[in-house]
Amino acid sequence: MAKVAREMVEKSGINVDQLVELLVKNAAAELTTYYYYTILRFNLIGLEGEGIKEIAEAARIEDRNHFEALVPRIYELGGKIPEDMKAFHDASACPPAKLPKDPTDIQAMLKVLVDAERCAVRGYTHVCNLTAGKDHRTYDLSQAILNEEIEHESWFSEFLGEGPSGHFMRRGETSPFVSKFLR
Amino acid sequence: MKEFSKEELARYDGRNGFPAYVAYKGKVYDVTGSFLWKDGGHQVLHRAGADLTDALEQAPHDGDVLEKFPIVGTIRHVRTEPS
Repeated sequence: MAKVAREMVEKSGINVDQLVELLVKNAAAELTTYYYYTILRFNLIGLEGEGIKEIAEAARIEDRNHFEALVPRIYELGGKIPEDMKAFHDASACPPAKLPKDPTDIQAMLKVLVDAERCAVRGYTHVCNLTAGKDHRTYDLSQAILNEEIEHESWFSEFLGEGPSGHFMRRGETSPFVSKFLR
Repeated sequence: MKEFSKEELARYDGRNGFPAYVAYKGKVYDVTGSFLWKDGGHQVLHRAGADLTDALEQAPHDGDVLEKFPIVGTIRHVRTEPS
């Protein structure tokens, strides 16, 4: 645990235990989304599905990166992730991004993907709001993750016909915002 | 439709076998079945069995997220809108 770092956050008025619990829930959402997106990606097939597969893969890898980036902060603040994987899954801040009943229904698949990203955007906005001007490191991390989640949402939203994403796909490395926390 | 007092609503906190009810703008919703309200807790900071009208103003989503849940009653002390 980073004792003084935790003290500084406590002194800023943040309930650190609550913050840690929130970070654990978001870490759980990232890891479970990585898992469920693996299944979705394998089922994105055919003329329609193949066009989305690469973006789903980028989102999948970046969600795993978010998990990797969040866990050190949880331990720095004196928290830990559950020993029981099932408990971790059930603590997720977002519902499971399960394969739709008809896995050939690409619109239903996109809906699952965009709903998962929207849940994440809300979650990290919440963490940013709680930590802004108080816990600089958690804010910086959450803001970096938020940047990537917003891009994921806009990619899938574009495929759903909701309008242009405003972005290209990743060119080269994944996690342009979060990579600094992964070194 | 049942009318809940604040004290009655507090019993429906999603624990000890009780369903999870939350109030919003005078209506009481049953959120028991939601993945996001397991054991009556939501995103660490919120508990079922309470009027969340004020809390929802700070939330990163609108009150319309509650529309998919069944309405089980109304709450007696409705928060008045500022004039």
